[in-house]
Amino acid sequence: MTSDEDIGEEPGGRTLVAEYVLGLLDTPTNERVRRAIEDDPRLQREEAFWRARFSALDNEFAEETPPAHVGSGVEARLFGEDRPAGFWPTLWNSLPLWRGLAAGALAVAVVAAGISLTRMTPSTPTELAVALVAALEEEGSDVRFLALYDPEDGMLRLTGLSGTPGTDEDFELWAIEEDGQPVSLGIVEAGSHNMVRMPPAASAEWGEGSVLAITLEPEGGSPTGQPTGPLMARGVATPI
Amino acid sequence: METPSGDIADLIGRIALGERAAFRVLYERTSAKLFGVTLRILKNRAEAEEALQEIYVKVWRRADRYVPGTTSPISWLVAVARNHCLDILRARRPVADDIDVALEIPDAAPDPEASALAGGERARIEACLAELDAARAEAVRGAYLDGFSYEELANRHGVPLNTMRTWLRRSLLRLRECLTR
Repeated sequence: MTSDEDIGEEPGGRTLVAEYVLGLLDTPTNERVRRAIEDDPRLQREEAFWRARFSALDNEFAEETPPAHVGSGVEARLFGEDRPAGFWPTLWNSLPLWRGLAAGALAVAVVAAGISLTRMTPSTPTELAVALVAALEEEGSDVRFLALYDPEDGMLRLTGLSGTPGTDEDFELWAIEEDGQPVSLGIVEAGSHNMVRMPPAASAEWGEGSVLAITLEPEGGSPTGQPTGPLMARGVATPI
Repeated sequence: METPSGDIADLIGRIALGERAAFRVLYERTSAKLFGVTLRILKNRAEAEEALQEIYVKVWRRADRYVPGTTSPISWLVAVARNHCLDILRARRPVADDIDVALEIPDAAPDPEASALAGGERARIEACLAELDAARAEAVRGAYLDGFSYEELANRHGVPLNTMRTWLRRSLLRLRECLTR
């Protein structure tokens, strides 16, 4: 069975796992094969077979030392260290940048969280108090939270949709106003419902356009009272 | 730059426990290799640098998924890097209107023990690739090492897309037959 004549018929699905390992499949087929492998130990062996055999070619990837900023960038993303001085103030002050977040994500997140919005509507439209919603996310991070602010009780309800901190780490929530100064709203639990009372320092300015952000901090929260870890998710408060 | 794979496996184990010092050593010892992977597949320096950062973030978060003994630790790291680059490229490619063929396994499933032998397998895969027609072997290598799509391979080899698909699939069957011989 070593000539093309012997394999006259189309290989069909018999090469799909090898094509998957090579990266030749388009997105839907790739996903289909990935899920099939997850569910079938025989396909897992087939995948391991191809990965092991092809990995014998790995020494053809020529080594090249990456520039130093790549390594410090990884550190900054993971541990919030070695970042250039002034990085945080610049980022936190850039409200226009923060507002660039796609508003479409809000609707999706609200539906995903299954939250009733009607209950959140203020009783009198003329009241200054407005119900707000914010979908917190960040490119390159799997951390997603949905935040709802109920003006009736002044509480912020925060639901973790995805992402978990590492061991010895916590997610810390921040409110950022027009002046760009982050105010800590405390530690929030991943994958859980959190009730957060807006502290006076934050609630005076709190409203439409305010930004909520989540950073990864050492266990127990930032030791300095200001964000020290990488930004994991952020979102702009929008009236509903 | 060569590091015994036992050391790398140990570093990955310590990273899974959240040890930052181990992560820094791993980066020092392996980033040149993984940068080689991102450069070769993405073929764009800025993208390769960005991808390398994302890959090490993944390594930090997924270190607990590495199972020592099943795969050499360097192969595992290269696979994380290669898959990340392929995901980037795949997202830019059009969806082929391919038929939903059912997954099959060619014949007796390969010996799972064999998958641990990557280091000594180079001569074997080279010998089996040499049994293929030279252009077809080159297409297989281009898919693995450069992340070329069927369309890119068809253009490079000057054959229609469907011909390339058939070439490659038949080559993979013959390769498998040779590698399990």
